[in-house]
Amino acid sequence: MKLYKKEGNILQILSFPNENSEKGDYLLIEDPDANKALIAQVIDMQFANIPGVLEELLRTLPDGGEPIQGEDIDPLEIAPHITYMQDASLLICKTRATLQNEVLSPSSSWLPSRSQSTIKKLSVPMLMKLAKVEGTRPIIVGGTKDSALLTIDATAIDGTLNIVTGKKGCGKSHLSKLLIGSLIGYKATVVIFDLNGEYTSIGMTNDGKRNMYYDKIHALTPSQNFKVALDQLHLNVVMGILIHALHLPGTSSREFRRLWKNLKEKGCLKLQEMGEAIRNLNCNQHVRDALSSRYHAFVNSGFFTDNPAEATFLDECLLKAKDQGGAIIINLRNTSTIDRQIVVEYVLGKLVDSLQSWKLKATFLFAEEAHLYLRETYWDDIVTRMRHFGIFTTFITNQPDTIRESIYRQADNIFLFNFTNEHDLDVVSRAARVDAETVRSIAKDLPPHYCLTLGKVVHDFPIVARVRSLDMKTMGETRLFFKSMN
Amino acid sequence: MIEQYTITTTPKYNFPQPTIDTTLPQRFLEQSLHSLKQVQHQPFQLNQQNFQQFQILEQHPSNLRLKRQPITLKPNHQETTIAAVDTSTIKIGETSTGIIIAIRGATTWKQNRNYRYTRLGPFIFHITEENKNELYKTLEKSYFNTLYSSNRHAIPHLMQMPTRLASLLERWLQTMLAKTVTNGLILFDGSLTSGTIDTPIQRMKDILTLARRNKNTVLAFSKMTSLRVNGYLITDQLPKYEPPYLLETTGIQFKPPTTLLGDVYVARLNKANYAFRLDIDSEIPLQLRMNAVEKILGNDLYMQGYPETLRLSHILCTFTANEVLAIKHFITRKHGIQIINRPDMHKLLFGPFGKGEFS
Repeated sequence: MKLYKKEGNILQILSFPNENSEKGDYLLIEDPDANKALIAQVIDMQFANIPGVLEELLRTLPDGGEPIQGEDIDPLEIAPHITYMQDASLLICKTRATLQNEVLSPSSSWLPSRSQSTIKKLSVPMLMKLAKVEGTRPIIVGGTKDSALLTIDATAIDGTLNIVTGKKGCGKSHLSKLLIGSLIGYKATVVIFDLNGEYTSIGMTNDGKRNMYYDKIHALTPSQNFKVALDQLHLNVVMGILIHALHLPGTSSREFRRLWKNLKEKGCLKLQEMGEAIRNLNCNQHVRDALSSRYHAFVNSGFFTDNPAEATFLDECLLKAKDQGGAIIINLRNTSTIDRQIVVEYVLGKLVDSLQSWKLKATFLFAEEAHLYLRETYWDDIVTRMRHFGIFTTFITNQPDTIRESIYRQADNIFLFNFTNEHDLDVVSRAARVDAETVRSIAKDLPPHYCLTLGKVVHDFPIVARVRSLDMKTMGETRLFFKSMN
Repeated sequence: MIEQYTITTTPKYNFPQPTIDTTLPQRFLEQSLHSLKQVQHQPFQLNQQNFQQFQILEQHPSNLRLKRQPITLKPNHQETTIAAVDTSTIKIGETSTGIIIAIRGATTWKQNRNYRYTRLGPFIFHITEENKNELYKTLEKSYFNTLYSSNRHAIPHLMQMPTRLASLLERWLQTMLAKTVTNGLILFDGSLTSGTIDTPIQRMKDILTLARRNKNTVLAFSKMTSLRVNGYLITDQLPKYEPPYLLETTGIQFKPPTTLLGDVYVARLNKANYAFRLDIDSEIPLQLRMNAVEKILGNDLYMQGYPETLRLSHILCTFTANEVLAIKHFITRKHGIQIINRPDMHKLLFGPFGKGEFS
């Protein structure tokens, strides 16, 4: 390989066919005189502009017909040298860091010698070693193209905002399960908003047996094994549900607050009593109707109960998870939009309460397709306020434009799977920790199950890895009509 | 030397199979390797000039006349084999003792509506003042088993060697076609002028005789000509007449020893406003000559009025820049020749006003 050109932080390197390089590979450009080396990543590959190639290709085709047949008597065997030249490629590389005296610095303000520099591949383990991507809580994400393991540290996800994104069926949920399993293994508390009910069986192996996480998985399905009694609820949580999920206007909210306090003082905070109280409320008819409709939404959700035996104490699950680590999976499958928002409001409110009162130290929240249940104001809450309480969110989506730009700007880690659509890639490339060229060029060509890891977990050295397989029951497969017929 | 044909008998057919004389390519290869061995581990200066094309400069004959009455032609679609040959040479670079050149030849033929080709080479030579005589003589001897010329001009100047060696290969390929093609048309690039340094009269006569013996007609197309009538190039004096047609010339006489073994025509083969000098073997009867041109019209494509078979030969033997790079790679890798950058003195002395050695 030979250094050809440098423009800004883009290097062009001439590579010959026997020097196999692929997108995502790292190269070390060592300048022995400067006693420094540049670390660059291949983000694109082109054919080198070898003079005469077009003529070479054209002359094999006579006037638009089939390639002309013939025999080449080439006694000196020059032909392999011709193809060697023709197949030379130009590697478009992005400079990532400078290595001097075994120390990495993000600067690339110097120019290595074009004639003297030697260029060689830099293996991922070596890069990770140089970048000091190591720690006491390793999470093996998968294998890189050069058969090395990509290991990140769980502490690099701690206190961070993460995004897992990619088009459908490329392995986003699989990676999320891997991260969840690893976090539970390190005794972390994880809450998952499971939109399709695909995380509920992560405590089982592929063949249906219990796996090591079985006892730490608490799958809660609203209105089935997840119900709450009104007297367990804090007024702030109920008000949050009414205002944000059920859009109760201000005047009605004030009436409800009064009504709630009255019922609580009387010690009869039950659904039936609440319904009666709303019916008998002496107020404007519109206010009464508004409260009445919200009350019926409460009742119809099936999420609220007057029976204390039916009620699930989310606090208890959280406490269990706090001690031994565990995942509370909120199964939102088969839940209507309104009910979903009620449940999410309740869980988030409860989490904030628990974190504020230090009942919980911190929790990792995994939110799949969050735009379907997260209210507008929560997006900013999550990246600013809630992070300080200790809610560290990972958004999982196949529609990157549904996540607000502010989230991308503040995302610490992005696990990016394949996207073909330019618009999707443009959205993701707004993230502060990545450069647009890398995202656009590498993500477009990622095979299924390959993930481009960006951000803090890899010390800002984007790395492509195939996500390793898991012995967990996967429920994310799409139900197919023709599958059983084959 | 008596030409011998091996006779192969099959139950149905009995036809002559001319022995393909492979002596020349073998000698080319031997001499190529031998000359490259001499240059191993020497520094090597890349060529600073562009492709060197193989050209023969024509002398101006006197009394040349161009008949204004065209000979009209009708395409004859009778299935006929059309074969063409061309060679190319290029200077790759210089060493401290000589030059490194590459030579390649191509024959193309159209048979059963398909074009096919055979490409021979590239052969790479390191030519020095010391080895040029031996190299040229060895190759020439292997061609006719004898030296045609014994005068002092027979051994060319170092800078003429590329074209002379290419000419040798071209004549050998022409001989091979004359031997192997029967009842066909053989197209040469250039003219049928002989008696020049690189084309002795006897050499060209032998090729034409061989072709005639196999009932072939040799036609030579010149892309460029310097023949003029009344001061104008013969290919520029086209009458307003519906092509295809030929214009006959008379009175061409070259200064001895230059001899013309063909009759010269101006050929305008289609509506494209291009005409070419066409030499047809003068030993071929007039009717057969016209018949041959009409068969080209009926069997070959002729874009811009130039036969496709010959065009393909030229295209296939030409060195592309990519191939030149590959040859440089080959001699560097296989023969350990170091490439050096000797400064271009024109550029060095005159800066932007120095346009290079050959400007």
